[in-house]
Amino acid sequence: MLRTLSSFRSIARAFGRPLRLLWAHRLLVLLGCVCIPIHAAVTLWMPRLLGDTLDLLQHGLEVGRTTAASTTLRNTCLLLLGLALAESLFRYVSRKTLIDVSRHVEEELKNDLIAHLQRLPAAWFDRSRTGDVVSRLTQDVELVRFVMGPLLLHGGSTLCLLPAGLWLMLSMNVPVTLACLAVFAVLFVSMRILLPRLHKWSKKSQEAIGEISQRAQEDFAGIRVVQQFSIVDRERAAMATKNRRYLLANLRLARLRSLFHAMSHSTSGVVLLSVLAVGGQQVIAGQITVGQLFQFTGYLALMTFPLEILGWTLATLPRAYAAGTRIAELFEVEPENPAGATPALQGRLRVENLTFTFPGASRPSLQDVSFRLEPGQKLGLVGAVGSGKSTLLALLSRFYDPPRGTIFIDDHDVLDLAPQTVRSLFALAPQEPFLFSDTVAANVAFARDTVLDATIDEAVAAAALDQDLPQLHEGLGTIVGERGVTLSGGQKQRVSLARALLSDRPGLLLDDTLSAVDPVTERRILRGLEAERRGRTMLIASHRLSVLADADLILVLAGGRVLERGTHQQLLAAQPTPTEAAPTQATSGVAPSGLYAQAFRRQTEAAALESRPEAGQ
Amino acid sequence: MSDPYQDEVPEGRIQLGFLRKLWPFVRPYRRGFVACLVILAISFCLEMAGPWLLRHAIDGPMRDTAATPEARVHSLLWYGAAFLGATLGGALLGYLFGLLTAWNGQRVIRDVRRVLFDHLLRTSLAFHEKNTAGKLTTRVSSDVENLNELIANGVLQSLFDLLKIVGVLVVLFFLDLKLALFTVATTPIVVLISVLFRRNAQRAYRAVRSKLALQNAYTTELLGGVRTTRAFGREAAVSARYAERNRETADAWRETVLHFSVFFALVDLAVRATTVGLLWYGGSAVLEGTLQPGQFVQFWLYYALLTSPVKELGEKYNVLQAAFASCERVFALLAEPEFPPRNQAAVRSARRGKARIEFDQVTFAYNPQSPVLRAISFSAEAGQTIAIVGPTGAGKTTLLSLVARLRDVTSGAVRIDGQDVRDLDLGDLRARVAYVAQDLFLFTGSVLDNVRLFDPHLNEAKVWRALETVGAADFVRALPQGLLTAVEERGATFSQGERQLLAFARALVVEPDVLVLDEATASIDSESEARLQHALTAALAGRTALVVAHRLSTVRNADRILVLEQGEIAESGTHAELLARRGHYWRMVSQVDRD
Repeated sequence: MLRTLSSFRSIARAFGRPLRLLWAHRLLVLLGCVCIPIHAAVTLWMPRLLGDTLDLLQHGLEVGRTTAASTTLRNTCLLLLGLALAESLFRYVSRKTLIDVSRHVEEELKNDLIAHLQRLPAAWFDRSRTGDVVSRLTQDVELVRFVMGPLLLHGGSTLCLLPAGLWLMLSMNVPVTLACLAVFAVLFVSMRILLPRLHKWSKKSQEAIGEISQRAQEDFAGIRVVQQFSIVDRERAAMATKNRRYLLANLRLARLRSLFHAMSHSTSGVVLLSVLAVGGQQVIAGQITVGQLFQFTGYLALMTFPLEILGWTLATLPRAYAAGTRIAELFEVEPENPAGATPALQGRLRVENLTFTFPGASRPSLQDVSFRLEPGQKLGLVGAVGSGKSTLLALLSRFYDPPRGTIFIDDHDVLDLAPQTVRSLFALAPQEPFLFSDTVAANVAFARDTVLDATIDEAVAAAALDQDLPQLHEGLGTIVGERGVTLSGGQKQRVSLARALLSDRPGLLLDDTLSAVDPVTERRILRGLEAERRGRTMLIASHRLSVLADADLILVLAGGRVLERGTHQQLLAAQPTPTEAAPTQATSGVAPSGLYAQAFRRQTEAAALESRPEAGQ
Repeated sequence: MSDPYQDEVPEGRIQLGFLRKLWPFVRPYRRGFVACLVILAISFCLEMAGPWLLRHAIDGPMRDTAATPEARVHSLLWYGAAFLGATLGGALLGYLFGLLTAWNGQRVIRDVRRVLFDHLLRTSLAFHEKNTAGKLTTRVSSDVENLNELIANGVLQSLFDLLKIVGVLVVLFFLDLKLALFTVATTPIVVLISVLFRRNAQRAYRAVRSKLALQNAYTTELLGGVRTTRAFGREAAVSARYAERNRETADAWRETVLHFSVFFALVDLAVRATTVGLLWYGGSAVLEGTLQPGQFVQFWLYYALLTSPVKELGEKYNVLQAAFASCERVFALLAEPEFPPRNQAAVRSARRGKARIEFDQVTFAYNPQSPVLRAISFSAEAGQTIAIVGPTGAGKTTLLSLVARLRDVTSGAVRIDGQDVRDLDLGDLRARVAYVAQDLFLFTGSVLDNVRLFDPHLNEAKVWRALETVGAADFVRALPQGLLTAVEERGATFSQGERQLLAFARALVVEPDVLVLDEATASIDSESEARLQHALTAALAGRTALVVAHRLSTVRNADRILVLEQGEIAESGTHAELLARRGHYWRMVSQVDRD
């Protein structure tokens, strides 16, 4: 009892939401469902008519041609034609309505899912793989749709045809029907055995082709290495193994499929034969007529499709149930809490002894970081991959919750402020910019609902994107992204910067935003920003140290700690220490170790060795 | 605004020319295909035997009241046995056919995939720059897969369907001319419906595919861009955009539902109407005594045999069309020339520790109007280091790519020990020249795989020695599983300095004669800078090297410096010589101290 209850609950969990969506279309569903039994009744009527006709012919043959027989034949034919029309009509209505509704349910379910996903915390996205979420949104929703539409249609018609057909057959001949059922049962059981295997091997085959694709993708992406190091033959050998695995999986799959077809083919043959053998004897014995035998085989033919559907349903339902559960899991993830104070903020930033560990990580990404920034000031962040720069900027964007009492804006703890309030303070331009497959203009104007063309042009010019527009065949209207024009890394970064500028927020977070832009352009952009800053607070993480020369404060981060701090001049004055700086000694107040000065000198060298002749004059 | 996905869905024309191109791949398995044809022919006969047996059973023992019941039952049993034999035989042949087509088709597919993959790895860099890795991967995976439809199922199955239609029609004509004519008259209606449906459904499906691709791409995007959306508070706008795409896809789907519903309804109706017509017409004939009931049943059953291949041909057409489109793309790629072209007269050239490199009047142009390199001449004696400096776009990287023939000179020659690189065996040449990029390209696999590039002949000891030489051994040892640590997400966990060290190790482990090196620009990567210096020194020791330099120390230690400017050598000489000349190089270097 308890188990039934809990299994009922888990089924309700998997299909509850789609069923509610289906309920909204109940009138259409009802219309479609009403047509199913009518269609079944019409279909089941036909073999009877055909059988009768055959008997009529038989009889007419024995007694000679009569006008009565001809009239009956004509009437029966007309009736059959009418039935065929009715059959097609009801089939059409039920199919059209039920499948249409299932597409509506699919559409609404996807919209609900996306709207829900949009509200989930950033930390959840870190934990989940995009591919997995996408597959839930596509394949799993499709499986659930199967239950809400095709299953309703075919399952419903099976539910009508199978019992009614069996009852009709039983009423004609009990032993033959039972014999047929026995043979069908064998087929059914073997299908139940074969289908999971088919599923398993088709999954293996999918995995194998996935591996092939992955390897090919990598080799093509790294074609320079592949050619330079002459590893073409080695790659071919590696691919041969994968190809072989794929081949074997597919051969296995083909064997199972062929076996499946052969079994269903021979089963229906055996069933038909047994019917004819037993029925034929009865015909000879005069117990039944040829027409009745024909009628019986007609019913039999109508049973095969419902039986196949039954097997298919039993194989699909567990998968659809699992898919429904996976979708329900997504819906059960708690969205980010949008609540909090929404005061007017000036943007005074105070970070105090901030130590932050990502949920699930073993080591903190930031340790003991402290600084203050007044509105309109500029902070430089410097450090290697994984030093904590991006983490700091992500915390300021309120993607994660910092520990209480570590980050303050205008003396409010950020935890007390509504996330949107904090975010509307800073515009973030990340290192790996995110562009949608849309026009350049739409990407730039992403942050606003409506925006004047002039404003877009202004932001585009400020991000030095205007110089690239002539290369794009449709200027600002050019579609970028996967199937549009592929922008270079630097162009993407500048689109992302223009977007941040257009959002017109009091603060700007540049997370190595211009790393792929050439140094000359970068300097031009930053100079422009400086002039147009209008009291904007800026936090700039950058590998290129020259752009930080005018920062009010520079933090050199390593392993999440502040290793050096000061202005550009202060940091340059430091003498490089001969040994590697030990990050453990570093606290927020440490003296410069010379790391910054050393890196700056090397960057100056590199820039000089790549300078154009005019630049040196 | 045009839909960027629209043109991606090609329309394949069914052309027999492609089959000829496919023949070399099919040839090795031709016996298997012939066996398939034989099986098809036999199973066709068996399928035709069923209704024939039934007819004789009905007209024979079942209606033959003259014979004794025992004799009738006895004869009926014989018919039954024959019927069973035909059915089981058909099932067995079907099974064999399934196995054989898979066996043939999958092998052909594997061969095509192997040849295509291998070929693509040997095409020019210019070609790869034009075609993204994603696109080429689709060709190797899905397009080749579509060929299977052509080889295994498509052609043979369609052939079988055609055979069935023709065969059944012939038999029908032999059975009863009038009935057959009646059938032939109605069949075109079914065919017409199929063809019309096919055209509409195809259009609708194409719309679904492109809308769905758009929607799925957008799904991936909005999930990847969730932080961007969040940062700008645009959740509602993004959801609305998604809903719009979702609506378009759903509408496209409903369009296909319409076509399908109408199609099934009409085809069913047409088939039923024909059946009813047969019943009326045939029934009247039976009543008139001109047709035996058994004959009538046989005719009836043959007609049933006819409907499914007619319906299926329409379906198959779609699949075949897609397969031909894929075929077209695959063969277009195979027609792409290899680069460098295979050279039968290539000279073998063994590693000897050192090499002399000579650039003789080298010009290189991606397009003829604006050469990237112009008449470059210089030589590097065995063991020398040549440093190359100059602004971005001066042709430095292109120059490096000419040595190991990643590209070929447009005119002039690059020589190693006096031999034009184009005359050397490509494998030998590339074994002698190793390339170190600024950034390490990582493959999925372990650190070990990535250093030795999957070459099992390079044992771990050799890999460790290379790692020691460049000073990368410490950090590799510190990895959770040392050399066997899996590289994740393209090596995002390695710092830029570490990547450089691994790139050095990868180059040194093959013990090349020549190093071609793009020196990394500095990043603030505290610990590795000292190591990088050390690694560079170790790598260059005793080897001939061409280095695109980003450090003054590298330039200073070089035997010769080339200042490249707009594809030409503006200055060349040693550090001291160039400083004394007070030219471009001097101006470059003096900037460093001024800053």
